[in-house]
Amino acid sequence: MSDRRLLLFNLLRGLAAILLALAVATIFIFLSSDEPLTALKYLLVGPVVSFKATGNVFNTVSFLTILAAMIPTIFSGLAVCVMFSANQFNLGGEGAIMLGGFVGALLGIYLHLNTGLHQVVCVLAGAIAGGLIMLIPAVLKVKLGASEMVTSLMMNYVVMFVILHFLNFVFADRTKGATQTFPILETAKIPEIVANGTKLTWGFVVALVFVVIIALFMYRTKWGYAIRMIGINQSFAQYSGMQVGAVIILSQVIGGLLSGMGGSIEVLGRYNTFLWRELPGYGWLGITIAILAKNNPIFVPFAAFFIAYLNKGCDLMATYSDVPSEMIDIIQAAIFLFFAAEQFLAKYRQKIVVRNAQRDLALQEAYADQGDLALPNVAGSQGGSIS
Amino acid sequence: MEQEVIVEQEEVVEQEDFVVQMRGINKVYPNGIAANKDVNFSLRRGEIHAIMGENGAGKSTLMKILFGLEQPTSGEILINGQPVAIHNPQKAISLGIGMVHQHFMLVPSLTVAENIVLGMAPTTKSRLLVDYKKAVQIAEENAARYNFRIEPNSKVMDIPVGMKQKVEILKALVRGAKILILDEPTAVLTTQETTELFKELIALKEQGLTIVFISHKLKEIKQITDRLTIMRGGRTMGVYNTADISEAEISRLMVGRDVVLKVVKDKAQPTETILKVRDLEYTNRWNKKMLDKLSFSVRRGEILGIAGVEGNGQRELVEMLFNLNTPDTGTITVCGESIINQPQNKIRDRGVSLVPEDRMTYGIADIATIEENVISDRFTDSRFNKGPLFNVQEIHSECDNLIVDYRILAKSRKQQVKMLSGGNIQKVVVARELSSKPTLLIADQPTRGIDVGATEFIRNEIVELSREGAAVLLVSADLNEVIELSDSLIVMYGGKIVAYFEDTSQLDDEVMGEYMLGLKHQTEEEIAKVSYE
Repeated sequence: MSDRRLLLFNLLRGLAAILLALAVATIFIFLSSDEPLTALKYLLVGPVVSFKATGNVFNTVSFLTILAAMIPTIFSGLAVCVMFSANQFNLGGEGAIMLGGFVGALLGIYLHLNTGLHQVVCVLAGAIAGGLIMLIPAVLKVKLGASEMVTSLMMNYVVMFVILHFLNFVFADRTKGATQTFPILETAKIPEIVANGTKLTWGFVVALVFVVIIALFMYRTKWGYAIRMIGINQSFAQYSGMQVGAVIILSQVIGGLLSGMGGSIEVLGRYNTFLWRELPGYGWLGITIAILAKNNPIFVPFAAFFIAYLNKGCDLMATYSDVPSEMIDIIQAAIFLFFAAEQFLAKYRQKIVVRNAQRDLALQEAYADQGDLALPNVAGSQGGSIS
Repeated sequence: MEQEVIVEQEEVVEQEDFVVQMRGINKVYPNGIAANKDVNFSLRRGEIHAIMGENGAGKSTLMKILFGLEQPTSGEILINGQPVAIHNPQKAISLGIGMVHQHFMLVPSLTVAENIVLGMAPTTKSRLLVDYKKAVQIAEENAARYNFRIEPNSKVMDIPVGMKQKVEILKALVRGAKILILDEPTAVLTTQETTELFKELIALKEQGLTIVFISHKLKEIKQITDRLTIMRGGRTMGVYNTADISEAEISRLMVGRDVVLKVVKDKAQPTETILKVRDLEYTNRWNKKMLDKLSFSVRRGEILGIAGVEGNGQRELVEMLFNLNTPDTGTITVCGESIINQPQNKIRDRGVSLVPEDRMTYGIADIATIEENVISDRFTDSRFNKGPLFNVQEIHSECDNLIVDYRILAKSRKQQVKMLSGGNIQKVVVARELSSKPTLLIADQPTRGIDVGATEFIRNEIVELSREGAAVLLVSADLNEVIELSDSLIVMYGGKIVAYFEDTSQLDDEVMGEYMLGLKHQTEEEIAKVSYE
């Protein structure tokens, strides 16, 4: 009962954090804009509504592009969920996504296979590349105790420059003005669910399938269980007999697989050639999404939708009003602060806890009245931590 | 019985000249533990007042509230008759309250004098540098005034425990404390140091200070205090003049029964040797020899107890037995096979279980559910897995059975472990470790800090396990527990075994005390008997 109330409290706290963050954003918009109401309109409802002289209508195309934008961030969000659950602050998602995209694109250009099989091979190869590259920070952590946060962060740039090297000197299409590869074969491209130019490809469906797979993996398999227990208390996991080192590596390799898969699906679904010349930024969004989702895979699509919606809103606001698009950074920062602040609304939480404890005490007294001395104390009466 | 106690309390409250009155104090911790329930407490000026109670009775919480380290959920505090709100220790210090914690709050790398003036250090004329000479002077003046023997220029890390405590007390006095709270001050002291401390406390009392003395040692309390407040399960069980109450009566009020817990058990029928430890040596990284040529064996069907004051190598020994640490030399075998440097799952596969001393660090994953905690050693078993997925039904029923069998009081198997009481958390650990049917159970402080009901339950479970044919190694700092529960017993002192008693039924505390404090030790031949060779 009480646990359900606390869950509800956590959900409400998340909502409150978002509302407060939007309130902060509103303040900044009013400060920086001459037409704040127009700006707000585009930020909040612009992504799904077209404003026309004849009236406002639901903008299906725009809504579908928001869903399309979620494809890579769902994957990176899931990747971060798995790694953060094991208490591994691996920030290498960026590099793994770019590498996955690059490998996927190369196979899409140079391999000749039937459509259907071609996409699967490309995406799997991209995923494996991402998984392999994550072995570097993971093994360094387990064997040498090097902080995965530092090594993975620096690895991103190594990966990026190595890719740029090969892009520039080996795979570049010299006939083009910009640095890009030869075109990806049509057999390797991931088609849209409905051909309408929104880039909402079958990759979206794959992403949702992986949400379910990863949720099952984390909460219904021995590996996911081990990952979560290690994340909560590594000493406990070791003492219980879990193979801590192996599981730490596993969590980061899975993070790499998911990131690489997201990268290749994005490249094969959205572009005609590989043309990323810098880190795509989906890895960082994945961290935001995982934090919003509290590392729970099931919440990842919702968090990804929220972020995609916000991005779109900010773009529209920057296009149609005088508010700069950097505003999104302020809003994101505000949400982060409120979400990350454990003490946010802590007093109210304490009230719930106190109420529960008092009810337990009443329960305990009821037992005592029955004279059932064999029954031990109800939770809340005594504790080893206090004496 | 509760009724008459409350009446007695109210009579006391009627009298005057109280320096401290705490009325109707309630405290619920963020994890839901109610540590104080409607507690009334008062201090007369110039008395030494004991707060007595078992671990977890709420003594420390009450004093932390008085010192501003914790805020009460409800209730009021009066200092010299004036209601006050003590939001932090600074406020408490300004009201003349000082507290000496059980674990000292000193900076080891600074000198005694520097520690005493820390945060209020005298400065030189330039106001930039600490006037160290002045600091030493302050320390010496105060030490002389209260007749304390200290060495102002020694570094705190180099001085003995007893002197560290004096530094703590002086620290409080220099800050103008008129009410001194001492949290289990004798827990870390030798007998001589305790005697010296008591003399000094009586001298302080004669100078007009009021002293609160938290303890659960009956003899000390009778010796030094004027009045005492007894707490049990977060409530006050009454306030008494020390002279008017017998030790047996105090004990009854503290523990809630007339006798110490007796464990009923049949005579052990030990058979083959399970655990064999030979010539174990270990020197820790501060170059202190923690284990010195340690040899013993544990046989199937018996409980071998390890008694000793904490810090005499017991912790290191247990770490070695579960490969949480590696010995310098020596062998450890379970059923003939070495377990040194074996991963924990291999050790567990050989049938070794450990109830760890530090249950919050090793025993549980605090924010995980009860269910997730009880399966941590067996989640890879085929019966809990169906293909790649968990067999959820099987795990549910395993957990539900353990909750019933080990009488874990919880709302559901989905409850977070950290929301349980200390006793129930320990039952979760015990449920997991005992239900795996170990050949060798290592129980390290299995009942520390938990309530009487859970203690009794856990002790009986351990006895039952051994009688069913497990070898049990029991490590406990609780003398009563180790004597009652063990069939035979060794005493550790300074990393060595100093005594072996084949039969614990005739042992008494005094004899044990002499071995535990290193005053006596047996001959090599007597000790070697514990190897059963």
